[in-house]
Amino acid sequence: MTSQVIEMQAGTGQQFGGNQSSPANREIAVSLKNCSLSFGEVQVLNNVSLDIYKNEFLSILGPSGCGKSTLLRLMLELLKPSEGGEISYSSDKPSIGMVFQKPVLMPWLSAIQNIELPLGLGEKKKFTKKEAREKAEGALQLVGLQDFKNHFPHQLSGGMQQRIAIARALAADPAVLLMDEPFGALDEFTREKLNFELLRLWESPDTSLSTVVMVTHSIQESVIMSDRIVMMSPRPAGVEAIIPVPLPRPREVGMEEHPAYYQTVKELRKRVKHL
Amino acid sequence: MSDKIKTILYPFGFAVGFLIIWELAVRLFAIPVYLLPAPTAIVSVIDANLGSHMMVTLMEALIGFLLANILGFITAVIFVHSKPIEKGVFPLAIALKTTPLVALAPLLVVWMGTGYSSKVVASMLICFFPILVNSVKGLKAIEFEAWELFSTYKGTKWEIFWKLRLPTSLPYVLSALKISSSLAIVGAIVGEFVGANKGLGYVVLVSSYHMDTPVMFSAIIASAACGLLLFWSISWVEKKLIFWQRVDEV
Repeated sequence: MTSQVIEMQAGTGQQFGGNQSSPANREIAVSLKNCSLSFGEVQVLNNVSLDIYKNEFLSILGPSGCGKSTLLRLMLELLKPSEGGEISYSSDKPSIGMVFQKPVLMPWLSAIQNIELPLGLGEKKKFTKKEAREKAEGALQLVGLQDFKNHFPHQLSGGMQQRIAIARALAADPAVLLMDEPFGALDEFTREKLNFELLRLWESPDTSLSTVVMVTHSIQESVIMSDRIVMMSPRPAGVEAIIPVPLPRPREVGMEEHPAYYQTVKELRKRVKHL
Repeated sequence: MSDKIKTILYPFGFAVGFLIIWELAVRLFAIPVYLLPAPTAIVSVIDANLGSHMMVTLMEALIGFLLANILGFITAVIFVHSKPIEKGVFPLAIALKTTPLVALAPLLVVWMGTGYSSKVVASMLICFFPILVNSVKGLKAIEFEAWELFSTYKGTKWEIFWKLRLPTSLPYVLSALKISSSLAIVGAIVGEFVGANKGLGYVVLVSSYHMDTPVMFSAIIASAACGLLLFWSISWVEKKLIFWQRVDEV
């Protein structure tokens, strides 16, 4: 199974993705070349090649257990691709933030201490205690939880916990944010709210965020949020198709009425059936 | 009435009722004192002497308890960081655990004499296993994603231990402490049975030779009080330390 970029045609013959500059001359943030990976006998990834650009919101969509999360862990360098595979970053290696499906907060730390935690890790301390506190407070403000600074995770709702997790990822000023089904465990209301909150953060000049890669299994979520959607095939996962989303930015609530939204969802549905 | 008052008042009420029935039964049926002394007879023999024996047993148990838990936790840390050592030493720890302490106690007295040390070691032997098993389990109980989080931000091994493994293990450690808090007293008393000239075990043994049942009862109650004291202290520490876990109030 080789990866391929599929140019999508709408029924009217109009070209999708017309409102974006063509990918060819955009700056690459992360690039995966021929990445394969096996866990023992089980092959998880099969020859995945993917360029992820700066200032891009990219979703990775695919059936559960297909290796979407594994792809993120390759980018995080928590896993290494098997021989022949290569992962490269833009000239200066971007700082990467990570948000998991579960909030993964330390229950013994308060909200602000949880956000500070990654800032204080590693042999080379990048921040003084004071700087870390200021950064954490800034990140807490970004997600609107400054009033819950000293609350502990067990005192916060699931949605709030996940916002703390997002603040924790943002506090270190990442250029690239990787998210592994970040809203998968939340109820529909909270999920929609956080979808748009995340988009605002990404668009905001207050964050250093340039690239977001989000793994999801929700077609609707991927369409409303992303510039491009990477469809993965079932295991061993390869890139089935890369589908641009021709919705204008900034994305607003109610864009589900947009014909382009409807058409992209329909196209994705069709491809899901073929898998 | 608030629930808090109820949890104190109810057991207290039942205990008082039980004591009254006991006292009445002994007097009504004229039960001989060497079989079952009345509560008042037991209270009358409680004196400073019993208190000093109780302190001896409590200190032996406490020192054994502390040393065993420190050693057990350190052993667990070593186990978690070295698979070969864990694989090699764990069976020995299990063998030690399955050897009855009562069978070992005479040997301890032969080796260490009738002083404090043989009781402290008996107490240690009985406290060592719960903390070892629970700490190993607790130190390994970290969420995989939490480990990934630390790795993503280049957390060192030391940081992963100090900021992740250690706090994760605390609930496990505290429940081991609760288990071994009462075992520690058992260890000290078994040690005293075999050879001692002070301590509650010694009092129980000597009073049994003399058929002095009220004194025996007073020593038994004192040993129960030692266990309770330790257990409650640990429970209190647990509540303060592990504030993020709701302790079941059943």
